[in-house]
Amino acid sequence: MQSKNKAVALTRRQFVAAGVLGGAALAVGCKSGNQGNWDFLSDGQARTLAAICDQIVPADEFPSASQAGVLTYIDRQLFRHYRRHRDVYREGLEHANELSRKRFAKDLAEATPAQQLEIVSALEKEERPFFDLVRRHTMEGYYGSPRHGGNRDAVSWRMLGLDEPPVRGRAQYDMRKGATS
Amino acid sequence: MKRFLKIAAIAIVAVGLLALGGSYGASYYYTSQLGQGCAGCHEMGGYVSAVHGSLHQKVGCMECHEASMGTKLRHMRVHFLGTPPETIRLRDKDVLAMASNCRKCHQHEYANWHAGPHSATYSQIFADSTHNSKRRMMEDCFRCHGMHFDGSVRDLVQPQNLQGPWHLIRSDLADQPTMPCQTCHQVHKEGTPQAKPATRISVAGTAGNDSLALFDRREKIHFAAASLAIPHLLEGARPVKMNQDARQAICYQCHAPRGSEAGSVAAANHWGPQVGSGDDRTPIGVHEGLSCVSCHFGHNENARASCKTCHPQMSHCGLDVEKMDTTYASASSQHNIHWVKCADCHQHGVPKMKAVAPAKAQVVPTTPGMDG
Amino acid sequence: MKRVNAVVVGAGAAGGIVAKELATAGLSVALLERGKWYTANDCRKDDLRNQRVTALGNAFGPEDEGNPRVLVDAKGVPHIVLASEGGYQNDAACVGGGTLSYGAQAWRYMPQDFRMRSTYGAPQGSSLEDWPISYDDLEPYYDKAEYQIGISGDYSGTPFKGPRKRDLPMPPLAPNREFEILWPAAKRLGLHPFHLPMARNTVPYNGRGPCMRCRWCCGFACEVDAKNGSQNTVIPVALATGNCDLRTECMVKEILTDDQGRARGVSYFDANGHLQEQLADIVVVSGCATESARLLLNSKSKLFPAGLGNRYDQVGRHLQGHHYTGAIGYFDFDTYDDVGPGASIAICDYNHGTPGLSGGGMLANEFIRLPIHMIDRLPENTPSWGPGHKKAMRDWHKRTIQVFGPTQQIPTATGRVTVDPAVKDKWGMPVVRLEGNVHPHTFDIGDVQAKRAEAWLKEAGAIHTSLATGRPETVSASQHQAGTCRMGNDPKGSVVNKFCQVHDVDNVFVIDGSVHVTNGGFNPALTIMAVAFYASDALVHNWKGTGFRS
Repeated sequence: MQSKNKAVALTRRQFVAAGVLGGAALAVGCKSGNQGNWDFLSDGQARTLAAICDQIVPADEFPSASQAGVLTYIDRQLFRHYRRHRDVYREGLEHANELSRKRFAKDLAEATPAQQLEIVSALEKEERPFFDLVRRHTMEGYYGSPRHGGNRDAVSWRMLGLDEPPVRGRAQYDMRKGATS
Repeated sequence: MKRFLKIAAIAIVAVGLLALGGSYGASYYYTSQLGQGCAGCHEMGGYVSAVHGSLHQKVGCMECHEASMGTKLRHMRVHFLGTPPETIRLRDKDVLAMASNCRKCHQHEYANWHAGPHSATYSQIFADSTHNSKRRMMEDCFRCHGMHFDGSVRDLVQPQNLQGPWHLIRSDLADQPTMPCQTCHQVHKEGTPQAKPATRISVAGTAGNDSLALFDRREKIHFAAASLAIPHLLEGARPVKMNQDARQAICYQCHAPRGSEAGSVAAANHWGPQVGSGDDRTPIGVHEGLSCVSCHFGHNENARASCKTCHPQMSHCGLDVEKMDTTYASASSQHNIHWVKCADCHQHGVPKMKAVAPAKAQVVPTTPGMDG
Repeated sequence: MKRVNAVVVGAGAAGGIVAKELATAGLSVALLERGKWYTANDCRKDDLRNQRVTALGNAFGPEDEGNPRVLVDAKGVPHIVLASEGGYQNDAACVGGGTLSYGAQAWRYMPQDFRMRSTYGAPQGSSLEDWPISYDDLEPYYDKAEYQIGISGDYSGTPFKGPRKRDLPMPPLAPNREFEILWPAAKRLGLHPFHLPMARNTVPYNGRGPCMRCRWCCGFACEVDAKNGSQNTVIPVALATGNCDLRTECMVKEILTDDQGRARGVSYFDANGHLQEQLADIVVVSGCATESARLLLNSKSKLFPAGLGNRYDQVGRHLQGHHYTGAIGYFDFDTYDDVGPGASIAICDYNHGTPGLSGGGMLANEFIRLPIHMIDRLPENTPSWGPGHKKAMRDWHKRTIQVFGPTQQIPTATGRVTVDPAVKDKWGMPVVRLEGNVHPHTFDIGDVQAKRAEAWLKEAGAIHTSLATGRPETVSASQHQAGTCRMGNDPKGSVVNKFCQVHDVDNVFVIDGSVHVTNGGFNPALTIMAVAFYASDALVHNWKGTGFRS
C-alpha cells in the first residue's frame, strides 16, 4: 500500500517540474512548433514549393497551382494523411533550393520563371521520387475537391467547363403536363 | 493515503485555476480588438482577414459567433492537444444560433424570411408524415434542406422507412430553420478588398448583393452566386431564353431541372435538361426570359406585389392580368403563371398585336412546338 | 453471447444475402461485419477520398492505420502496403461491402464461363477448371438476385447471353451522349450493342426512387439511394425479421472447432477490441476472396494445423480479379454530357469464340469521369506537367470516351493469398500476403481486347486513340477479387463442394467470390449474389434443426 502511494505521490519539486513541463508542452503543442502561416511547412519551404507547383500547373488565363490553393492542400495533408511523405518533402525542397543556388546563386523562389522551369525539369530527371510526389499532390490539389484546401472555388472544374455544384433536380416535383416519370 | 488525497486536491484546484484563468484569458484573447485575437491562430487568419475586408468589417467576431466558456475551452483543447479539422467550420447549432444575431441588424430581411416558406423548420421538413409515408428520406435531402446538419439523415430522423411514426432524434432542431441565413449568404468574403459599399464590384453586371453565395452541403463551403451555373434549358428541342441574372443561380440549385434527358432529342444533337422538369420553374410562354427574382422577393418567395410592376391595371390593352385565369388568381387554374402562353387563352389564334412600333409589328406570335 | 443457428462473417454482397435468406427461413443469425455502417454522408462525393480515388484514404474502409497487407513483387520481395494503396487489392470494409460504393454493373456470366476448361483446355501453367455447377443451375438464382436486389438494363440487343426466363425488372436509363455516339458505330461494325445491366433504380423500386444521374457514381455511396447493394436491400429485410443481429466493427479472429473437427462458432474482437465468442451451429464465411482465405488460414487447430479447410493446401490459391484493358478515344466534338452513371453501352461479342484465345471479356464505356481521373489519361505525347498538360486537360476532358473491359483471367495455383509470418494487424492477427502474378495468356487476351476497343472508338469518330494494356507484375484481385476457396467435387483440388460447404468440415460454408472457379469476363457482383442465393437455398433445404440431412 505504501509503495503504491509512493508511486503517485509527488514531491513539491516534482509538482513544479510537472507544471513547467506541462506549460512547455502547451507552448510547443501548437503545430509542431511552427508559428508561421502553415500547418507543416515553414514559410521558406512554402515559397520553394510554390515555385515548383506553379511550374507543374502554371498560370494562364486560369490560376496557377498556388493561386488555386494547392499549397494549402499539400500543407494540410502533410500534417494529416501524408505525414509519411514529410521527409521526402523536407529533403526534396532543400535539394531544389541547393540546385538553384548552385546554378543561379539564388533561392528557387527568387529565380526567374525560366530558371525555375530549368530546376523543375532537373528535379524530374534527378529527383524522381520527390518530383513524382509533388506532381501527384499538385494535381490532386488542383483538380480535386475544394474542401481539402486546393481547387479554390472549384476553379479547375469551371476551367474544364463543369458546373459546380451541378444543377441537378429529381423526378418527384416534375410539373410538366404528361411528364412520364 | 492522506498525503495522496492532499496532492490530489492540490492538483484538482490547480487544474481548476488553470482552466478558469486559461478560459478567461482565452476569452479576452478572442474578443480583444474586434476579434484580432482570433486571427492569432493561423487557422483563423483567413477567416478573420476575410471578414475584415467585407461589409461586416466593424463587427467583432463575438457579435455573431457563440462564445460560451465551453466553446472557448473546446477551441483551446483542439488547438493545443488535437489535430484541428482540415477546414474549420461551424457546427449546425452554431450556424442556427447566428440567425438571431443577424436579426439584430437585418430585421426587415429576417421578418420577410421568417414569414416565407424558406424558413421551414426541421420538423416541418423531416417529420412530415404525408411526405415520409410516400418518399424515403435520403442524404440528398440535405442538399436543399438542413444543409448545415452534422451527420447523416439517419442521425436526424428515425425510423428510416415509409411506415413511421417519425421523430427527430435531434429534438433540439425541431423548431429550427432548415434554410437559415447562411444557406444563401456568406458573411466572410475571403479576398474581397476592403472598400466602401458604393464601390463594390457588382455581380455579373447586375446590382447583386455580394454576400449572395450558396452553401454547398457536399464541400461544406460557400460558392459565390456569380460562379454558379444557370442551366441551358430546352423545351423539346427548342432552347429556352434564359435570364442571366446571377442572383437566381442560387434558386436554380434547388429549384433544379432533372439531368439531361436524351433519347430522340439527343440523337438530334440537342442535349440538355428540359424546362419544367424536376423542380424547375423557369418561365416560358409570355414570361419567358424573366429572372426568378423579377417576381419573387428574395427573402420570402412572395410574388404578390410583382404583377403590377409590369402590368398596371390601366394598361394600354385594358386587361387586368391579376383577374385573368392563371395560377396567380387561382391555384387550380390550368394556366400556370410560369407556363402560360398567348395561345392558352386564344385557342383559335392569337390576334395580331396592335402596332406599337414598326419593329415590333413584324413579330409574328408563334406557338412553340406546333410541329411536335 | 447467446448461441445462434448461424454466424455469418462479413456483411457484403454475399453475406447480406445469406443472412437474409437464413433469417427469413427462421434461423437465428449473427451477422458480423468488421467495418462500419457508412452512409453517403461519410464521403459526400469527395473526389480525393472515395473507394475509387483513394489519395486521401478509403472512404468505405478499411482504414490505413492498423490494416496492412504484404504484397510480394515479381522479384519475390515483400512490401508492406497500406489499405489505400493500389497493391493492397482492396475491395471495401463496411456494411454492404463493395456494393455500397460499386459502379453496380450487374452481369450474368455466360454459360461458357462455367465451363472454361472444357471449352478451351487449360493453358500451360494455368489452373483453368470448370465449375461443378452450370449456368442452368444458377439461372433461377440470377433471376432471384435481379429481382430482389433490383437490376435495370436491357439485354435484348445481344445474342451473346445465357437463356433467361424473364426480362430485368427495370428498364435502362435514357442513353447518355457516349451511348449515342458508340451505338451506331458498333452497329456499323456488325457488333451487338445493348444497355448494360445495372443494380440501379431507373424507376421507383423497392420503396426507393430512381437515379438522379449525378457525376459521382462508381466509388461513391449513392446520395439518392438509387444504387442497390446489400445494405439497402437484403440486410434491412434480414433485420426486420427479428432473427438477425448485425454487429458492426467486429473483426473475426478465428473459426473455433471442437475435438470432432466440427466448427462450434467464431471468436471475434468487438468494437471495443474485446475478444468475444459467438457459438453457432453453422459458420458462413463471406469476407471476400482475400479475407475469407485469411480467416480460414488463421483458424489453425490441432486437427487443422495448416488452417481450416486447408488439408490439401488449396486455401488461397487461384486468386484472380480482372485484367482491365481497353482504349481511350479523343474526339473533335464534345462527348461528355455530365450525366451519370456514365457506363451505359456494352458488347459481349468478344467474350468467347476468338480462335487462339482462351476467353475474352465484355467491353463497355467507362463510368463518368472526374477531373482527377483524367490527369494521366491524356493523349500520348502530352507533357505530364506544365502548360501543355493544363491545356490538354481543357482540350480533352469533355472530348474523350474510354472503352474498357474486364478480361477474364486465366487462374494459376501460384497466384495466391497466404498469411504473412511476421506482419500483424491492429488486432494482432497475421495479415494477408499476396503472391504470384497474372498468367501471361491473360495478357494475350487483354491486348486483343484493347485493339477491339480502339477499333470501336475509331469507328465512332475518334481522331486519336491510345491503348491501355497494362502488364501488372504482381497478382491481380482488387474489387473483382475471386477464387481463393475454389468450388469443386475433388477435395484435393478445391476447398468447398458445389454447395459451398467446406469439404472436411460440414458446418462451415464459404459463400462469396472466393468460390468462383473462374471469374467470367464480367464484373462479378451479380454472380456472387446469385451464388449466395443458391448456396443459402441449399443450406436451408438441408438444415434440419441441429445438423444436416445426409
